[in-house]
Amino acid sequence: MTTLTYPLSRIEGHARVVIDIHDNEVFRADFQAMEMRGFSHYVRGVPAEQITVIVPRICGVCSTAHQVASVKALEDVFGVVPPPLAEDIREVLLLGQLIQNQATSLFIFTMPDRVNASSLFELSRSEAGKARAFSLAQMALRIRKIGTDLISLAGGQFIHPIKTVIGGVTSGIPRVKADQLILTIEELLPVATDLLDIYWDLSMQMVDRIGSWGDDEPTHYLASTEANNYRLNSRRLRVMKPDGSEAPSFDPHEFEAYLQITESEYSYAGISSYLGHIMRANSLARVNLAESFGTPLADAYRERFVETFGKPAHAIMFFDLCRGIELVYALEKARQMLSGDLEHGETEIGYTPRDGTGFGLVEAPRGPLIHRYEVENGLIKSADFVIPTVHNMLAIRRALTVVAKRYVSHEGIDAELERAVGRVVRAFDPCIACATK
Amino acid sequence: MESSTDLPKFAVLQLSGCSGCEVSLLNSEEWINNFQLVYMPLVVTSNKIPNGVEVLLVTGGVRTDEDIHNLRKGRSRARKLIAVGTCALSGGVAQFKKNHIARESFLKASHRLRMPDMLPNAYPIDKFVEVDLYLPGCPPTPQLFMTALKDPEHAQIAPIVCQECGRKKLNDMRPKSITGSRSGVVLPDICLVNQGYVCLGTSTRGGCGALCTRPGHACVGCRGPANPYLNKEPKFVLDNLRRVFSRMTDIPAEEIDAALASPWLSLFLGQFTDYTQETDLPPRTKEKML
Ligand code: SF4
Ligand code: SF4
Ligand code: SF4
Repeated sequence: MTTLTYPLSRIEGHARVVIDIHDNEVFRADFQAMEMRGFSHYVRGVPAEQITVIVPRICGVCSTAHQVASVKALEDVFGVVPPPLAEDIREVLLLGQLIQNQATSLFIFTMPDRVNASSLFELSRSEAGKARAFSLAQMALRIRKIGTDLISLAGGQFIHPIKTVIGGVTSGIPRVKADQLILTIEELLPVATDLLDIYWDLSMQMVDRIGSWGDDEPTHYLASTEANNYRLNSRRLRVMKPDGSEAPSFDPHEFEAYLQITESEYSYAGISSYLGHIMRANSLARVNLAESFGTPLADAYRERFVETFGKPAHAIMFFDLCRGIELVYALEKARQMLSGDLEHGETEIGYTPRDGTGFGLVEAPRGPLIHRYEVENGLIKSADFVIPTVHNMLAIRRALTVVAKRYVSHEGIDAELERAVGRVVRAFDPCIACATK
Repeated sequence: MESSTDLPKFAVLQLSGCSGCEVSLLNSEEWINNFQLVYMPLVVTSNKIPNGVEVLLVTGGVRTDEDIHNLRKGRSRARKLIAVGTCALSGGVAQFKKNHIARESFLKASHRLRMPDMLPNAYPIDKFVEVDLYLPGCPPTPQLFMTALKDPEHAQIAPIVCQECGRKKLNDMRPKSITGSRSGVVLPDICLVNQGYVCLGTSTRGGCGALCTRPGHACVGCRGPANPYLNKEPKFVLDNLRRVFSRMTDIPAEEIDAALASPWLSLFLGQFTDYTQETDLPPRTKEKML
C-alpha cells in the first residue's frame, strides 16, 4: 500500500489530503483537519451573555456568522424578538461577510489554479494578468475590502464584530457613512463583474485543458436561503434532493432529526449527513435552491449559469462560479439596503435572561450555521456548533476519490493529481478552524 | 512589481489561531508593492519556509507538537521574528489555564490517529523561540501590520487607548452601577467610564486608533497591558483599573471586581498578563512591543 499525503495551502486552516493506493487502485481518499479549536469545550461555565464576544474567535474568516448565530441562539433562550431594523443591519453585516469571503475564495484561493500560478500576486504578474488594464491583485483586494468596510460599519469592528447584541444591534448606520460606501460599491461593481467574467473565462479554459468540472454525481443540497429571498439572516433549513425536488424544510431546533453528525478517527473535524445521504452546502447549494436573487446583475449571471449548466447543476467546480455570482449579488444587495434608512428607528429592545436551550441559525458563506446553547443558572452548560464545512465532508471525500481514480492508473500516478486535489478541496472552500470548533 | 524578487522577503507562519490576524493583514494592500511574500499558506502555494527570510510573522498560539516543530524551523530561517496577535503572545482564547473542566473535556476529545498531538495547553510562542518584536491585538489593525513591516523602530504608539479615543473624561458624571451591555444608548464624546461601561482603555496600550471606543464600544483590552504593566502580575493592571473606576465613578468595588473577573474581559486582560506567571518566559521589554 502506498499513501500519498498532500498538505494544503490556499484554504483556511491546517488540513491535508491522504490517498491510499494499493496495486495502482485507489483504496481510500480522505480530507483531514489537523488542528482542533475546541470552543465547544472551553465555553462551558462561561456566563451566557458573554459568549457572543468569545465565539467569533472560533474563526476570523467567518467571525460575523458566529457572532450573529450566537446572539440569535441566546435570543431564542431568552425569548427576545429584535426589532426589524436590527434584523436588517445584521443582514448588511452578513452581506459584508459574504463579500469578503467570496472575494477571498474566488481571487486569492482559486483564481491562481486557473492558470497554475502559485498565488494571486504571481497571477497578477503573469501574462494573463498583465493583459489587463489594471492590477488584478490590487482590484481583487479592493473589492474584498468593501466586505471589510461593511463589516466595520454594521459590526463595529473589522474582524470580530461587536455591534450585534442580544435584543438587536447597538446603533444604526448613519446616512453619510452609508452614502460613502454606496459610492465605493458603485465604483467597484463594474470591476467585480469584469473580474467575474475573467474568472469565468479562465475556468472554461482550464476545464478545456483538464477535461472535467469534477465530481458531478447528483447529491442532496442544504441551504437556509429562500427560493426568492436570499436572506442570510435566515430562519429555516431547506433541502434539495438529487433529482431537483425539494424535501420538507425544517427549523434549526429540529436539526438532529435530519442531520447526523459523527466524529472521525483520522481528522479533528466531524462528518455530517442528511438522513444518511451525502449532501453539499455552500454557494452551489444556495444557487440550486434559488429561483431568483432579486438583483439584476446577479440574476443575469444566474440565468446564464442555469442555461449553461442546468438546474440543479452538480459538478463541484460550479461552486466557484456560484461564489462569483453571489459576490455580485451581495454588492448589489448591500447597495440597495444601504440606500434605505438604517439610521432611524428602534435598534434594540430590553430582555430578561432566563435558563433554557436555544438555537441560532444563519446562512454563513459556507452554508447553514447553527449554534445551540444550554443555559443553566445563567452559565453555558453545554454548547454545540453545527458547522457548514462539516456538511460537506462526505462530498469532499467522494470528490477526492473521483479525482484520485482519474489520475491513478496502471501506468502510475499522474503529476496533475497534486494540483487536482487542491482544486477539489478549494471548490468546497472548507474552513478548518470552524470545522474543529 | 517587475522587480519583486529584489524586495525584502517576508513570510507568515500560522500556528493555532483563528486566521483573523491573516485576514487583517490582507485588509491592507500596501505591502504588495513593498515586500515579496514567500510563504503564507493561506494565500500562496507553499509547503515550507525558504531560507533568507527577512521578516517572519507568527500568528496563533502553540497548541500541537507540530506547532513547536514548525515554529523552531521558521525561527532558524528568518532574520527577524514578529509575534502577531493575542494568540501568539499568550496562547490566546484557546488557553485555559484555570478552567480544569474545559481542559479535561478538551483533552479527552482530542485523540486521533496519525494526527498532531494536542499539548496540555496553548502556549505563547516565546516559550519556545526568541521573539524580536511583539505586535499585540486581536487582531492588530492593518495599519499596525504595516508599521511592523516597514519601520517599527520609529513607530509612535500611543501609550494608552484613551489618548486616541477623544472622548472626554468628566468630573461630574459619576455612575452608581455598571451599565452592562443591556442599555444600548451611548452619549457621543463622553468617556464610556463616565457612562458606566467597563472600558479598559486607561490601561491598554494604544496603536489601534481606539477602534472600538470611538464608535461607542468599551475597549476589551485586546492590545494588552500598556508599558507600565508589562512583565508585571495581572494584579497591577487590575489595581490600576480599580483606581480609575473609584476616581471616576461611585460603582461599588465588588461590582467592579466581578466585572473585571468576567471571562469576557479576562479573554484578553487575564490571559495576556498571565504570561508573567510562566517562570520560563523571557521578559518582554517595552522596546520590543509595538
Ligand atoms: S489574535 Fe485574535 S484574530 Fe489573531 S488569530 Fe488569535 S483570535 Fe484570531
Ligand atoms: S476609558 Fe475608554 S472611553 Fe474613556 S477615554 Fe479611555 S478609551 Fe475612551
Ligand atoms: S479599542 Fe481596545 S479592544 Fe478595541 S482594538 Fe483597541 S485595544 Fe482592542
